[in-house]
Amino acid sequence: MAIHDIHEIRILPAFAIARLGSSPEPMDNYDWSVPDPVGYRRLVPAETFYIDSNTGKILSRKKPDEVRFRDSKNRIRPISPFLEAWACFKRNGPLVPLTQKHLNELDLRASAIKWRVQLGNNKAFRRTKDPRDKILADTGFYSDFTKRLLLGRCDNFLKGKKIPFGFGQYIKPTPNFPEIRFRFTPAGGFVYGPPPTKDQEKSSTFRSVLKDIVYDTHLGHWKGYQDLDTDPTTTAPASIFANAGSDPVRSLGYLDDECDGILELELQLKTKKLKAFARIIAGPPTFAPDGAPVRTVGDELEQALLGTLLNGKVNRADIENILRRAMETVRLMNSSLMNHSVGMAWADSSQYGRASQPIMDPNVVDNLAIVSRHEQVLLALESGSLAWFSRLLRHYNEVGDLTDEGRRKMPALMRGADGSHLALTRRMVQKIQEAADLFQQHKHIVPGKKPKNNQ
Amino acid sequence: MKKASSIEPKNLTAQLHYRGEGNPPSSHPSTAVSNCYPGLEMDFRNVWKHIFEGIVLLEYSNLVTGVEPGADEKIQRLVSSGIQYELISADGIPMTAPVTGPFRHSPEKIHDTISLEWSNALAEILPKAGQFVLCKFQNNNNLREILSIDLKVRHFFDVDLNRNGKVVSQRVVIARELAGPGDLTQSLCSPWQNDYRECDCFYWAASRPDFVNVEPGKDGKSKGNNWMQKDRTESGDKKYISDAEDGIAGNPVLISYQDLFAAWEENLRFIIAGKDEPLKKSVKKVKVLKKKKSK
Repeated sequence: MAIHDIHEIRILPAFAIARLGSSPEPMDNYDWSVPDPVGYRRLVPAETFYIDSNTGKILSRKKPDEVRFRDSKNRIRPISPFLEAWACFKRNGPLVPLTQKHLNELDLRASAIKWRVQLGNNKAFRRTKDPRDKILADTGFYSDFTKRLLLGRCDNFLKGKKIPFGFGQYIKPTPNFPEIRFRFTPAGGFVYGPPPTKDQEKSSTFRSVLKDIVYDTHLGHWKGYQDLDTDPTTTAPASIFANAGSDPVRSLGYLDDECDGILELELQLKTKKLKAFARIIAGPPTFAPDGAPVRTVGDELEQALLGTLLNGKVNRADIENILRRAMETVRLMNSSLMNHSVGMAWADSSQYGRASQPIMDPNVVDNLAIVSRHEQVLLALESGSLAWFSRLLRHYNEVGDLTDEGRRKMPALMRGADGSHLALTRRMVQKIQEAADLFQQHKHIVPGKKPKNNQ
Repeated sequence: MKKASSIEPKNLTAQLHYRGEGNPPSSHPSTAVSNCYPGLEMDFRNVWKHIFEGIVLLEYSNLVTGVEPGADEKIQRLVSSGIQYELISADGIPMTAPVTGPFRHSPEKIHDTISLEWSNALAEILPKAGQFVLCKFQNNNNLREILSIDLKVRHFFDVDLNRNGKVVSQRVVIARELAGPGDLTQSLCSPWQNDYRECDCFYWAASRPDFVNVEPGKDGKSKGNNWMQKDRTESGDKKYISDAEDGIAGNPVLISYQDLFAAWEENLRFIIAGKDEPLKKSVKKVKVLKKKKSK
């Protein structure tokens, strides 16, 4: 059916995470499969778009032979997400991927779509509070298909210096791949900073680690900055910047090419201008890519969207997913060490003067034993083990309970966003408790959708 | 790859979970850590700083750090005269919790208070977006002084409102008013590599592995390597080496900050099925600036 109007445009995914890597070859697509309920996820090659970066056209879509995180020169391949324009052609109509064909029906060319990327790295600014330390890249609106460099500019940089945040590219729609999409490719994960001091230059052990010298120490004060004990607005943890290890901890003035910001889209129709935006972030790679953290930004967004209550909509796939992530986390943790001398065991004593004691009985906290216990819960949800697990969960307002019993609640040995013992989101806790209650009443819960590639 | 052909605009859950064609799992927020202290991909705590119109909160505690331009006189009081105010409740919901437990000098007990993380503490406030809620602020220097101010809750997600302020359309992108470019990553380590060597960052093990190549030792207990160990080729039981256990700050057998700044890609190894990815022999050094000759 021909279309006559576009009611609304949205960019999906609405929040995409790029991951740093210096390879010019972006990471192929892959997926997870779970052949063994308590085994590792298998990384499975998935259909990947291969782009001609000169023209912006998709050359092909195929599955690679294997999942490779590095290129032939051992450089890490960046995760470069695609962001798609979805359109709704009438009020309350469905959202569908916007294509060149749709634009043609409205007498529009692909160039009618305009994109803008604004990215920032405010790490130095967050500490110095000097707005001239903000590093910002802004492409302005544009509509061509070239690789658009995302160059971070800063008032306190040396003349002409910039930090590249990667590049953006409007993917040129073709008859085979007519969808309107944009790709964000992050930077290489390099370190930038100020010129070396004269002492450093003279030192035989001085090793420059900087990709480029960008920061002007005559203009800004990021180099030499220190978090003061008297300042209640320092970051938490404080002093988490490259430093010379001295007391006081003073910044070496190092910067990086991580960033976050906004991708915008505009489309001028005859009578109105449509706008949409999404958020993009460039962070480090996941170095254990066959697992996921126990509490994620996805969990936060879901709680913000749907609230803390389930209204009876608990499903088995959700529960398995949470428990699997807990298991994937403890698998890679040295639980014996974290039980007494580092992590929360240490933090409780140093922060609150708590009596220094192991959190768990050292005889039961070995990694293999802990993993085994998680496997048992995951394998036998209906057996009552979930009920046991749910009773052990820490509630968000119990994070300050540093009694023996309080510290042994789950998730154990880990730190939350408030610096205290970790609690899951209230919605996650609710899911587990509702499922446990249903199992205790010998009721079944709906299987739920297994996580699929796209939805 | 299964391609989604359509999504109902009101099916916000499907939009939130949508990953996009060609995108691997690690591009989705469901693989990003959110127990941010300070976080890896982003410090998600920053999203809450502007959740109430008129004030700016600290990302990790209930301290008011600023007021927004144009805020009324009562709100301005929160940052005047050098007094520090903390948000102790919103709509009757406490933003703090007690800290209890045995003090190191027995039989004393710990009596302290902690501010709760925003995400869970504000979970019941978010549905009141667009409405005013009663917020109580406590003077840090005079705990008896409480200021009560009605503040409007911002919408967490991007919305369209009608003339009466009612939501007519919602999307699953975090609202612009909550964070500008650079705001979500601002409190992370600088450079980010610092966080891979910083003290005690073992609570993100699924993305930043800690205990790798784990297998049962001769005594039946787990033996494995620290992900930061340079050499993991020992025969027999593996040994986990740490700064803390060996009492050596900057233990040279571990990857150093400098190693990470200069060549993180070759020093950090992917862990698949709990084990190191195979090492390749020809590793290209990351290009670094040559030392300038002194004049």
